[in-house]
Order: sequence, then structure tokens, then C-alpha cells
Amino acid sequence: MDFGDTTLTLGQTIGLLSPEILLLFAGLLILALDAILPQEEERDWLPQVALLGLVVALVATFLLWGWNTPVLAVLSCDPFALMVKVIVLVAMGLVVLSSDVYIRVNSRYQGEFYAMLLFATLTICLLGATTNLIMLFLAFDFLSIVSYILTGYLRDDTRSTEAAIKYFLYGATISAVMLYGLSWFYGLTGSTDLSSIAAVLKGAGYIDGDGVVRNMLQPVVLPALVMMAAGFAFKIGAVPFHQWAPDAYEGAPTPVTAFLSVCPKVAGFAVILRVLLTGLPLDLRVLSMDWRTLLMAISVLTMTFGNLVALWQQNIKRLLAYSSIAQAGYILIGVVSASERGTTAVLLYLAAYALTNLGAFAVIIAFSNKTGSDDIEDYAGLSQRAPGLALIMIICLLSLGGIPPTAGFVGKLWLFSAAIEKGLIQLAAIGVINSVISLAYYWKIMRAMYFTPAQTDEHISTSPALAVALGVAVVGVFVVGLFPAPLLGLLQTAAQTFFAG
Amino acid sequence: MFPILSVTLFAPLLGAILIMVIPREDEKTIQRVGIAFAFLTILLTAFIWVGVAQEGADVMQFQEQYPWIPAFNVTYHLGADGLSAPLLFLTALLTTLSLFYSAYTIKDRVKEYFFLFLLLQMGMFGVFMALDLVLFYVFWEIGLVPMFLLIGVWGGKRRLYAAIKFFLFTLVGSVFMLLAIIGVYFQTGTFSIPEVAEFVATQQPLFAAVPGIATAAFWAFFIAFAIKVPSFPFHTWLPDAHTEAPTAGSVILAGILLKLGAYGLIRITLPFFPDQFNYFSTTVPIIPIMAVMSIVYGALVCMAQWDLKRLIAYSSVAHMGYVTLGLAAAAAGVGMFGEDIYLNAAASGINGAAFQMFAHGIITGGLFFLVGIIYERAHTRDLKAFGGLGSQVPYYYGVMLVTGFASLGLPGLAGFWSEFFVFRGTVRFIPVAAFISVLGVVFTAAYILWKIVQYVFLGELDKEKWGTLTDMEWWEKVTMWPLIVTMLFLGFYPTPLLDMFNAATTALLNNLR
Repeated sequence: MDFGDTTLTLGQTIGLLSPEILLLFAGLLILALDAILPQEEERDWLPQVALLGLVVALVATFLLWGWNTPVLAVLSCDPFALMVKVIVLVAMGLVVLSSDVYIRVNSRYQGEFYAMLLFATLTICLLGATTNLIMLFLAFDFLSIVSYILTGYLRDDTRSTEAAIKYFLYGATISAVMLYGLSWFYGLTGSTDLSSIAAVLKGAGYIDGDGVVRNMLQPVVLPALVMMAAGFAFKIGAVPFHQWAPDAYEGAPTPVTAFLSVCPKVAGFAVILRVLLTGLPLDLRVLSMDWRTLLMAISVLTMTFGNLVALWQQNIKRLLAYSSIAQAGYILIGVVSASERGTTAVLLYLAAYALTNLGAFAVIIAFSNKTGSDDIEDYAGLSQRAPGLALIMIICLLSLGGIPPTAGFVGKLWLFSAAIEKGLIQLAAIGVINSVISLAYYWKIMRAMYFTPAQTDEHISTSPALAVALGVAVVGVFVVGLFPAPLLGLLQTAAQTFFAG
Repeated sequence: MFPILSVTLFAPLLGAILIMVIPREDEKTIQRVGIAFAFLTILLTAFIWVGVAQEGADVMQFQEQYPWIPAFNVTYHLGADGLSAPLLFLTALLTTLSLFYSAYTIKDRVKEYFFLFLLLQMGMFGVFMALDLVLFYVFWEIGLVPMFLLIGVWGGKRRLYAAIKFFLFTLVGSVFMLLAIIGVYFQTGTFSIPEVAEFVATQQPLFAAVPGIATAAFWAFFIAFAIKVPSFPFHTWLPDAHTEAPTAGSVILAGILLKLGAYGLIRITLPFFPDQFNYFSTTVPIIPIMAVMSIVYGALVCMAQWDLKRLIAYSSVAHMGYVTLGLAAAAAGVGMFGEDIYLNAAASGINGAAFQMFAHGIITGGLFFLVGIIYERAHTRDLKAFGGLGSQVPYYYGVMLVTGFASLGLPGLAGFWSEFFVFRGTVRFIPVAAFISVLGVVFTAAYILWKIVQYVFLGELDKEKWGTLTDMEWWEKVTMWPLIVTMLFLGFYPTPLLDMFNAATTALLNNLR
């Protein structure tokens, strides 16, 4: 067997891949258990099995901390990949906890659901680690397919099915476009490995009469880059490739919406950072400006569009869909900064956003488990029907808006400071204006919960699993908001993966 | 060393957490715990005041500094000097009186009310104590949410509109300040307020290489604080918020929250950007114009009000205008402090501004209590509906007279000294502004005497309508007396407070030589 040009033994290779392997086995185990267990009630333990799988994978990830080496020539086990794994494993844990009652009540097929979630986790772990365009595409498409299935998981619900079809048609097209773009890179450079691509592109540089470094591949790299960026923008839900998001979010089962709002974004940003920072080195002016200009435009459009449209939404899932589009716009600020601080900021904001948004969705799931509604109007008087849920929702909304002392504030502090460090003051200014706009629609939810009288006095109870998810999310939001130093230490190490030396 | 600042800062938080675990039916215990913790902070801040006065009010005392986010050089850094110590005491005093008064007037959602009030107190303490810009910003925003909810839940008819307006106005101002704070960090490598001031004083102005950025950063800081002060033309949130807030909310808004803005101007804007502050106070006199407009326009609008609470709200705009004016005067003298005559005049301007912050907190806090007291009974604040109450509620009349006279700056009461010192400073540097602003003093006397005293207390008493009106209850007297005593005490003997401010001010100005 060829392990690439490294000197790893078979045992080491397996060890370095252990999080992925564990996830794969946990997923398969759930499928098997689902088939073997005769009684319907016994399958209620499957979420716990999934959770166990995630926790074990998380432990394995922590044990790998400190490694920085290529694996099998297409993956990399470095601090960046490991931190992406940590973020996504914690996020998926929250998704699994939130799914418990909802899936049991709404679907007969529990096993497949959790297996799909674990497979999705696996693909995101791979995406965080991949250094090869083929591996990238395979994992990318695997994640897309799992996402389509999850979106349409409620087979008898027409809205769920419709959402899945829309998502699928859109995603399949984008995948094709992206694959085409990736093939251009191979054609231009003769390699699918990111560092080889960077080396070839760099070698094609020359200095023109005015002393400016130019690149003879420049005219052909541009379309390849745009096609590739389209695929990434689709994954993170950035304008103009965001149209699938509101429909998919609204139609999908709510736990899947929670998943969609966070996990593909983590995957997308991980890939964007790695491809842009290792595959397209900055000192090479690939375009007449460089890729940052392209992303800056996308960033501004994404946050502004997402926020402005969110102002008019009545359905809470749709509102959070547009909100999450806007959030992707903020995170792009960190990518555009293309610095160690910017990369740290992206990871930090993703972690903060994951905790916050999943906390908010846990409240939405608790609410819809009881009432079956997602209309903001129906949240009237929630502060009296369920004071705890309403309080957690407020905390999460304030964190999304970037109000201290929450995780969202620290995340935004880092994003904006990354921009200002690089002199991108206008971008930071647009970012803060958008933060203020976003509070106007988060306020709509707060107003319903706290300032509108309740229609009924019926209390809303929370299942134990959901309560755990809510607790973890809200504690996480405050811990990251008040004591960010330990997490930041890890994330900085992760960011140094691309900026060492 | 005993970390007295941290203890004071987190005492309200501890109280709030305790309140959270008390069952909501047990309102008496909730009220007692809330008041007890607020009262504890009075003792603590009094101790801080005495300690700062003894150790030297010109430097930061009781400093505590621990790394908070080492990756960004953000520290948990607290300190108190002659400027902040009295304001801490003011915060503790007004919060305690507010909670005491609320225990008798707030019947709805008592638990949440007391919880939020203590949280708000922590936010205000934090702003006055923080010596790290990020920490300052965090506390600045923490106070926003409880106040927003206090207005929104316990306020008057248009409370939602007023609450969101208050929230968004403040937020819009402060987010740009956050960007400026980050910019300052990349320039100086520190978030420490004293260190940045030191950098400006000893090395070079901030953003010296890019004047455009320097001006933008100056305005980012200035406008964030001017919105909070509030200075004309950023004052429009204030009448709504003050009018709709519950009585104790208005007291805290007028008494302390406005001072956060003024404090920021003195502590941050002036020492960070002396040249820009000077430029916009002299060559392009935007800041004096804002101050004069606040004073004169605010007072004129007061004359046109028929809602007693709204009238007092606008009077805050006018009175806080003196704070801005005093600071503009001091800024106008930047560069001339080599001569004692100018240094003294500038110090006088800032001392007057600081004294006004304290005095206005006491006086306008008192006025809002008095409005609440009459509204509880009459269920109206319409000045035209009253008349001749002087004979019906003589005790109330007396208290209102003293407070009103203090507000219009009668010698012998606290309000006099602030105006005196502000004018003394302003005449030296921007005489035109001083002459126009004196008009404001005349108008203030007019609306206090004509609108409040005459319309409410003099004239014919409508026996049918107001015959059953009762005079102040004991708890209302207990709320008002500490304020009255402070007004009289400071009126006759301002020295203890003035010495505190003067030490801090002189230290500040010596840095700007």
C-alpha cells in the first residue's frame, strides 16, 4: 500500500484517521442496530449511540493534538484540521441532542437519521483535512447528498420533499460547475494537490516592464477560480448562491435545519481557508487584483442582503435562514483578511456561531414539539409560558447580534480587528452597520416573547435531551464570551498551520 | 490588598443571582435582598471615595489588573480616581433609592425588575471602573439590555417604541466606537486607557500618519458618547425614553446613564484626541455649537411642554449641555496650559462639567421621583390639569421648590456651582458661547417658576378634583431626604467633591500641556 511520501507506519496512519474511522463505524453500527433491534422502543437508544460515537471521536481528536503531518497524501492531520473536527463534533452533538423527540414523533425511521448525521460529520472532518482536489470533491459531494436526504427526511410532508428537491437541483448543478472548475486547475497545473498547484502557479509568475509580478496563467485561472468559488459559496450560503437556503431551511425537519445552518458552513469555510491559503498563495497576484477582492464583494453583498431580507420574515426558520446568510457574510471578513488573526477569527466565529445558533434552534425545536408552529406570532408570551426557553432565546439572539458578554461579541471583535489590522476599515464599518440592522429583526422575536400577551397559559416543557442541548449551548455562549482565552489559544495554533514561518 | 473595586462591581451581580433563586411569590424577600445589596454598595463606594481621597485623587487607586484575553492584550483592569469615585457613589446612592422607592410602587413582575436593576447597576459600575477599552465597551453594552427591558416592560403607553429607540441609538453610536477602539490598539499595542493617554501625551498623537483616520476615530468616540450625554442633535431618543420609563428607570437614566457618556468624553475622548477636540472647539466650533444648542434649545423646548415628565426630560438635555460646554472650553485651551491662568480656566471648565454630572444626577433624579409621586396619585402629568396644589400638599410643594431651585442654579444649592465653574472656564476660551448660554439659565428659571411652580402649586385649587390628594408618604420622604440633604450640603460646602474632581482634572490637563 502506498502511504504517499511520508514515513508513517500503518498503525500511525490508522491512528491519525481514528476520528473518521470511529465515525464511520458508529454510523454503520447504528444502521446495523436499527435492523437487528426488533422492538420500536429499543431504537430510542440510537441517539445515545450516536452521541457516544461523537464523544469518542472527540476524545480521539484531542489525543491527536500536536500532530502536523500529511496522511495518505490527500489528507492532513494538522491543528487546523483537528480544530475543525472539534467544532463540528460539538455542533453535531448538539444537533443529535436536539433531534431526539422531534424525530421520534415525526418519523418512523430513527436509525437512518442518526447514521446520516454521523456520515455528514465524517465528510466534514474530511473536508477540514483534505489537501487534494479530488478528495475535496468527493467529500464535498458526499456531504451534499447526505444533506439532501436529511432535508427530505419527512417523506410524507410535502414541504420537506419540496425543500429537498429544490436543494438537490440547485446543489447538483453547482457541484457540476465546481467540478468543472477544479478540472481546470488540474489541466493548468497537472496536479490535484494544493501545494503542487501553488508551486506551479508561482513558477508561472514573471515581472513585467513596470516591475509588477504578473502571471502568465492569469487569464485562465480566473474562470477556474470563479467556478470553484461558486461551489464554496453554495456551501456557506453566500450571495448569489444562497437561494436554496430559505426554502430548504423552512421545509426541512427543524433539527435538520439546525444542522444545515451550521455544519455545511463549518465545512465550507474550512475548505475555503485551506484552498485559498495553501493553493493560491497571496504573494502571487493571480488576478489583476487578487482573490480577496472577489470575496470582499461577496462578503458585503451577503451580509447586507441577508440582513435586509430577514427584516421582512414572519416564519422563524426562514428568518434564521436569512440571518445565517448574513452571518456567513461576517465570517467572510475573516477570510478576506487572509491573516493569522483572520483565520483565528473565522474559526472562533464559527465556534461561537455554532453554539449560539444551535441554542436558538433548540428553543425552536422545543417550541414546535409542543405547538407544531414556527410562526413568530405564535411565540407571543413565551416569557410567561416558558421563562427559561425565552431567556435562552434572548441570550442566543443577543449573541448573534454581537452584544457582550456573549460568544458572538468576542467572535465579532476578532473578525473586525482582523479587518482593521489589514486596513479594511470600510469592510469592518459595513460589518458593524449590519450588526445593528440584524438586531432589528432579532428584536421581532424578542418582542413577541416578552412584550406580547400569551394566547394560552399552557406551559411548554422540554425533554431531557433538549434541556442538555440548551444548557450546553448557553453555558458555551457565556464561557466563550467571558473566558475566551483557552479556546483562542487552541484556535491560534490552528491558524498558524497556514502562517508558520 | 483587598480587591474592593471587584467586590463592589460584582456585589450587585451576586444580589441578582440570589434574587434569581428566590421564589417569585416571595416578593418581600426579593425586595429586601435587592435593597440590601444596593445599600451595601453605598457603603463600599463611600469607602472607595474616602480611600481615593486619602491616597491621592490624581492617580488611579485600588487598581486591579489581570490578563483576560492574552492573545489580544485585553486585561481585566479596574481603577478609581477623583473623577470616578464620586460617580460610583452617585450610582450606588441613586440605585438604592430607586430600589427602595420601587419596592412600594412596582407590583408587576417584581423578581425580574429587581434582577434587571441590579444587573444594570453592575454595568454602570463597570463603565466607571474599567481602565481597559474592551472591558469598558463590554460594560457599556451590558447596561444597555437591562435598561431596554426596564423601559419596555414596566414603561408607559409608548414604551416599546421608546425602548427600541433608546437601544438602537446607543448601539449605533457604540459600534463605531468599537472599531475606533480596535484601531487605537493597532496604533499603540494596548487597550489600557491610561497607557494610551500616556502614549498620546509623551510620544505622538493617535493616527498621526493619517489625519483622516484620526478625525474619523475622534468622531467615532465623540458621537458614541454624545448620543449618551445626549447632546443636540443626538438627543431625540431621550424625551421618549425618559417619559415612557418607569419612575425609577427615569431616575437612573437621567441620574447615571447620561453621565456614562460625559464620563467617556472626559476619560477617553479628551486625553486620546486633544488636538481634534481642540480643532472642533475652536477653528471649526462644532462642539461648542452643539453644547449651546443643547442648552438654549433644550430650555426653550421645556417652556413648550405641558407634560411634566417630558419637561424634566428636556431639561436634562439643557443641563447636560453645560457638561459639553465645560469640556469644549477646556479643549479650546489645549496647547496654552503653560500659563497658569489658562490651566486654571480649563480646569474650571472640566471641574464644572464634572460637578454638573454629580449635581444633575442628584437634582434631576429627585425631580423624576417627584413626578412619579404626583403621577401615582393624580394619574396625569398634564400641567394644565393641576393648580393650587400648594395648599393641598404643602410638604410635596416644599420639596419640589428646593429641588426646582437647585435645578435652576440658585446659589446655596448644588446646581449653582456647576454652572458657575463651567461659565468661568468658558468665558476665558469661548466667550461667545458663554454669553449665549447664559440665556439658558434665564429660560431655566422661567420654566421652573412659570411652568412647574405656578401651574402646579399656585392659583385656584380645584377642590372637587384634587380635594382628596394626599401628601407624601413616609417612604417617599425617605427617598427624597438624602437627595435634598446632598443638594444643600454641596450648595454650601462643595469643597469635598470639588477637591476630588480638581485633582483628577489637573492630572488630566497636565498630560495635555
